[in-house]
Amino acid sequence: MADQAVTLQAGAGVRQLRDRLLPYLIAVAAAFAVVGVVIGVMGFNVPRAFTTILFTSFRSPNGLAQTLSKFVPLLLQALAFTLPLAAGKFNIGGEGQLIVGGTAAAAVGILFPDLPQPVLLPLALLAGMIAGALWMLGPAWLLYRFRINEILTTVLMNFVAFELINFASTEIWPDPAAGHPTTVPIGAGAHMPMLLQQPPLHSGLLLALLIAAGAYFFMGRTTFGYELVVTGANPRAARVHGINVRALFFASLLVGGVLAGLSGAIEVTGNYHRLIEGLQSNFLLLGIIIGLIARGNHLALPFVAFFIAVLDVGASALQRTLAIPSEMVFIVMGLILIFVLLSDVIQRRR
Amino acid sequence: MDISDVVGFARLVVLAMVPYTLAAQGTMLAGRTGVFNVAQEGIMLLGASVGFLGAYLFDGLGYGLLLAMIAGGLFGLALSYFTTTLKLDQFVIGLALFFIGLALSTLLYKLFVGVTLEPPIIPTLQRVSVPLLGGLPLLGPILFQHNWMVYASILLSALLYYFLYHTGAGLELRAVGENPKAADSLGVNVAWQRHLASMIGGMLIGLAGAYLPMVYTGAFTAGIARGRGWIAIALAFFGGWTPHWILVGSLFFAAVEVLSLRVQIGDLGLPHQLLRTLPYLATMALMTFAFRGAKQPRFLGLNYDRESRTSR
Repeated sequence: MADQAVTLQAGAGVRQLRDRLLPYLIAVAAAFAVVGVVIGVMGFNVPRAFTTILFTSFRSPNGLAQTLSKFVPLLLQALAFTLPLAAGKFNIGGEGQLIVGGTAAAAVGILFPDLPQPVLLPLALLAGMIAGALWMLGPAWLLYRFRINEILTTVLMNFVAFELINFASTEIWPDPAAGHPTTVPIGAGAHMPMLLQQPPLHSGLLLALLIAAGAYFFMGRTTFGYELVVTGANPRAARVHGINVRALFFASLLVGGVLAGLSGAIEVTGNYHRLIEGLQSNFLLLGIIIGLIARGNHLALPFVAFFIAVLDVGASALQRTLAIPSEMVFIVMGLILIFVLLSDVIQRRR
Repeated sequence: MDISDVVGFARLVVLAMVPYTLAAQGTMLAGRTGVFNVAQEGIMLLGASVGFLGAYLFDGLGYGLLLAMIAGGLFGLALSYFTTTLKLDQFVIGLALFFIGLALSTLLYKLFVGVTLEPPIIPTLQRVSVPLLGGLPLLGPILFQHNWMVYASILLSALLYYFLYHTGAGLELRAVGENPKAADSLGVNVAWQRHLASMIGGMLIGLAGAYLPMVYTGAFTAGIARGRGWIAIALAFFGGWTPHWILVGSLFFAAVEVLSLRVQIGDLGLPHQLLRTLPYLATMALMTFAFRGAKQPRFLGLNYDRESRTSR
């Protein structure tokens, strides 16, 4: 009897997981089907294109290391988007915050190159987090004080940050030997310890995973996390029940700024060991896509982020080997999101 | 600085006004029915891309403009369909469309043009001098010696004003964004109004994008909109979601853009990067001052559910 109950329970768990996963699997399959038809009509080799997109990350240690290195900023950018989103606020300024975070970390690494690692590295990361928060301060305050739409203000700050990184890498600490706007290298004490030397993989990975686990715990197990979710679900009800909604918006946006700033600091201390114009890559857009696909589920978020990192690495390989523009994979991602959202509609109608 | 500098500056401002006007009027039109579009930047980039490609491949700017309008219209329609009919979140769908539009803009360019040593160039829109008025001193060169899209965007603003405030259909459209339940109970087809407004709004935003390669550069480059799409949202707020104030506001935003791109302040010892941040910082500052008492459609960003019991 008892055994049977356990099996039943396990069966229910599996069924629940299946019901949760099924829409995602269908969405992914449907997105690939649509894009497969398109590139097939254009005369490309569809099976080779698909295997390139999906398996480049797993064919070599190098591919996997590259994927994990991308996974770090993607996961942090996604969290910088989803934590405010839990309260119903949109942080579209992740790349600006990444840039100032990277710039601050680089500044610390360049100005104090002789400090020992136990001091300099934490200092650089901290500087990045503070800079990210400060970059968010304007938009968060404008929302708090004047209720100005945060989508606009956060995104506008990105464009300001583009000029800042250009200024820092061409005027303040330029490296004349580099052919691209780049600063001089940071001190060795600010380098992130490596998990692997060849292929290179830095320990920012552990930090990002730790933060993702923390965010999951925070959203599900703390009062603040609960208040965020309640406010996101129904701000009016939250206010009636005594939650200071506006302060919560403010705080959630700042937390987003801290995480995005950290992602920039990790790129500088772990990946490049200097500030390079363009280091923000397309992490903001992919982070938003990850956050939207995960639909507020912080347990699913790292998995979605890893999947998107796989697709992104596959996208570059696709362009290199098959001459299919890498943006084709962005279309796949966009379609996955649309199909995942549509599954909501279908489930609602059932 | 003499009078010809001032005339030259004013000329450039009027020229730079068009994408802001078109994109913000498109935003306003959809917003007036409650559909809050946040995909402008993506739609503008797509409009710039297909506008360029149409003009380049079919050898006529008209084809480019037509394609940009179709692409923008489809995105606008997708936005209202997913939100109004399928009841999905407007910001989420808007961001998804922004992402897809941005990706499509470079994808299509790479597919049809590829990577070339010398980027292909399309001819830019011809200058059309208005008879009589074009010959006026000062005002002639500032206002009446431009490409036809300048005149069209001003005319469009006037038409929108007339439509919204002096026709029954305009009243119905505004009612949908203010109180869809009341409009619905009086027999206005809320979903239809929203689809139509969002589609036409998307067309205007697509045109705004196509203007960029057709007037400024003659070529498409990734990210050519440079945030103009986002600024258009701010402009719609700034203009209080009214066509006439949006036209005025677009002159202001255009002036800031021209200042930031053309003025040399090397003499002042300021870094040129600082000047280039001006449009974005000015937008934020302006929002702070202008937004406090700003009116907006009451149902902006909300989906109408006729079965819901509350008014929101």
